[in-house]
Amino acid sequence: MSRLLRLIPVVFRTIRRSPIRSGLTIMGIAMAMYLFTGVESMRNGVRDATEAGAGDSMLVVYRENRYCPFTSRLPEWYVDRIERIEGVKAAVPMQILVSNCRASLDVVTFRGVPGDSLGASLSPGTEIVAGSINDWTKRGDAAIVGESLAARRGIRVGDRFNAAGVAVYVAGILESSEMQDRNSAWVHLPFLQEALRRGGTGGFVTQFNVVVDDPARMDEIALSIDEAFAHDERPTATRPEKAFIGRAARDIVGIANFAGILGWGALVAVFALIANAIMLAMRDRIRDHAIMQTLGWTGPLIGWMVLVEGAMLGLFGGILGAFGAWLTIQYGRFAMTMEGASIEISTSAWTAIIGTGLALALGILAGVAPALRLSRRSIASSFGAV
Amino acid sequence: MSTPFIQCRELTRTYTRGTERITPLDKLDLDIDRGQFVALMGPSGSGKTTLLNLLAGIDSPTEGELLIGDTPVHSLSRGRLAAWRADHVGYIFQLYNLVPVLNAYENVELPLLLQSITRQERHRRVSNAMEAVGITDRHKHYPRQLSGGQEQRVAIARAIVTEPDLLLCDEPTGDLDRETATSIMDLLQRLNRDEGRTIVMVTHDPATTRWADTLLHLEKGRLLEHEEVTT
Ligand SMILES: Nc1ncnc2c1ncn2[C@@H]1O[C@H](COP(=O)(O)OP(=O)(O)OP(=O)(O)O)[C@@H](O)[C@H]1O
Ligand SMILES: [Mg+2]
Repeated sequence: MSRLLRLIPVVFRTIRRSPIRSGLTIMGIAMAMYLFTGVESMRNGVRDATEAGAGDSMLVVYRENRYCPFTSRLPEWYVDRIERIEGVKAAVPMQILVSNCRASLDVVTFRGVPGDSLGASLSPGTEIVAGSINDWTKRGDAAIVGESLAARRGIRVGDRFNAAGVAVYVAGILESSEMQDRNSAWVHLPFLQEALRRGGTGGFVTQFNVVVDDPARMDEIALSIDEAFAHDERPTATRPEKAFIGRAARDIVGIANFAGILGWGALVAVFALIANAIMLAMRDRIRDHAIMQTLGWTGPLIGWMVLVEGAMLGLFGGILGAFGAWLTIQYGRFAMTMEGASIEISTSAWTAIIGTGLALALGILAGVAPALRLSRRSIASSFGAV
Repeated sequence: MSTPFIQCRELTRTYTRGTERITPLDKLDLDIDRGQFVALMGPSGSGKTTLLNLLAGIDSPTEGELLIGDTPVHSLSRGRLAAWRADHVGYIFQLYNLVPVLNAYENVELPLLLQSITRQERHRRVSNAMEAVGITDRHKHYPRQLSGGQEQRVAIARAIVTEPDLLLCDEPTGDLDRETATSIMDLLQRLNRDEGRTIVMVTHDPATTRWADTLLHLEKGRLLEHEEVTT
């Protein structure tokens, strides 16, 4: 056992002393693992944003057959009727304004809510980490900015910022466990309606965010809301928030699913890179192996060194690529936003650790076949090849 | 007389290549005593390397017996043969003795990695071996940075670092100039005389046989004559 451990530094030396070959291999593995980790983070984000949780209690009421915040227009007074529907705890009219309606990595989403409804429109896991709601209430052009959006744009309390033709004053920063909240800027509803006046939006909002009493009755309540407005001039379509996001951002979800294939492809590439590097190295080292066998190395010991080499290449490439991707995402705070629905690219150190573990496993796997072949090879035939 | 250190009894090695059968060693009988320095000559293809490989436990005989010390080398399994080799044999080739990505020190250290000894002990033994062959100032040099003679010295240091009873050399001076060859032969003789190591050396150069105490001629897998060389 200790003999096996003593050989590990020897393998490390052989890797270090062919810097070009090892460097290129490790770089290739790192690139593939960067891609893999990036894709996995994107898929994590999609899962978090669109997969319903047991405690979800938020419904989004949208104009039927409309998908973009620019075209969904519902009368603000619907809010009274919605609130009277049995099972509805609170409803908040909301005007959405996005700086870009297409899928993009840096969209500012404004959510206009009535001054007294800000609290009700935020999910329970929300906290103001800078500034205060008070300051927000006092100023007509004030905004409370989600922490991810603030980090991405470098926004601080007291700043003014301008997006989608709307200039606001930053009264606070909020932190939230909800992705949509982290990526929006809350402003006063009348202020946003005023800003949009040229489109004639007065008295209209984009959507209503509805909190229900009992999460188990979400679908039933959504149905009653839609029934209530079915014969109105402006009928509604109500969905649980996660389902609404999945629908609004369906292109992003589609891309993420496709990218999943790329992620697996990246793993195959890692395997192929390591297998190729090892096979070339083995061909170069037939003589070295013959020497080592005369010194008392058994076939299995040489096989062990090959496995260690594969493992090391995988490990180094994996660490570089996976943690590189992790750092990039950690500092970039990317969110893909489409039609006002945000999907964060969310990575955790776990994604990077799992990625590194996979690269390590693939490295070992790539070494198995050559290792077995070498461990069975007779020493005389090694010399025959010298 | 005590029993010989190495006893070959009807030692035979046959290779089959397709339908062709080659028998480079044919029922060879040979005794070598402990502490002997044997020079082995013979035309190319006469089976010298084949014999050396059998003595080293690198190759196994097709038939016959090979006893070295008390060990029936011909009947050891592959794993045991490797362990036996590590403990008892030092092998030196004409060329390509060293692993190119390891420096001189690390090359000499290689066989010790298979033994359960501390790092300090390894260091002590490697330093001693390198001192014995006179290359203490080349620890950090890679094989490509060494001359042919220095490379051979490193190879010898590695062969003796485990303190084996038996040194096998396949044309150790074949690639060296006269002067360097002389110093290498002096070194081998010292290891033979001062430390009592048994040496079997294959050579094409009659001049190098004068360092040996026994000269053997191999031809077509058989020993021709068995003459004592006066030193
Ligand atoms: N692994 C092998 N498979 C098949 N034939 C072999 C093998 N090893 C050696 N031979 C054959 O056995 C014969 C003797 O080879 P050997 O290497 O022992 O000769 P040698 O005396 O060392 O020659 P040289 O002086 O050229 O080194 C040769 O004909 C060689 O082709
Ligand atoms: Mg030969």
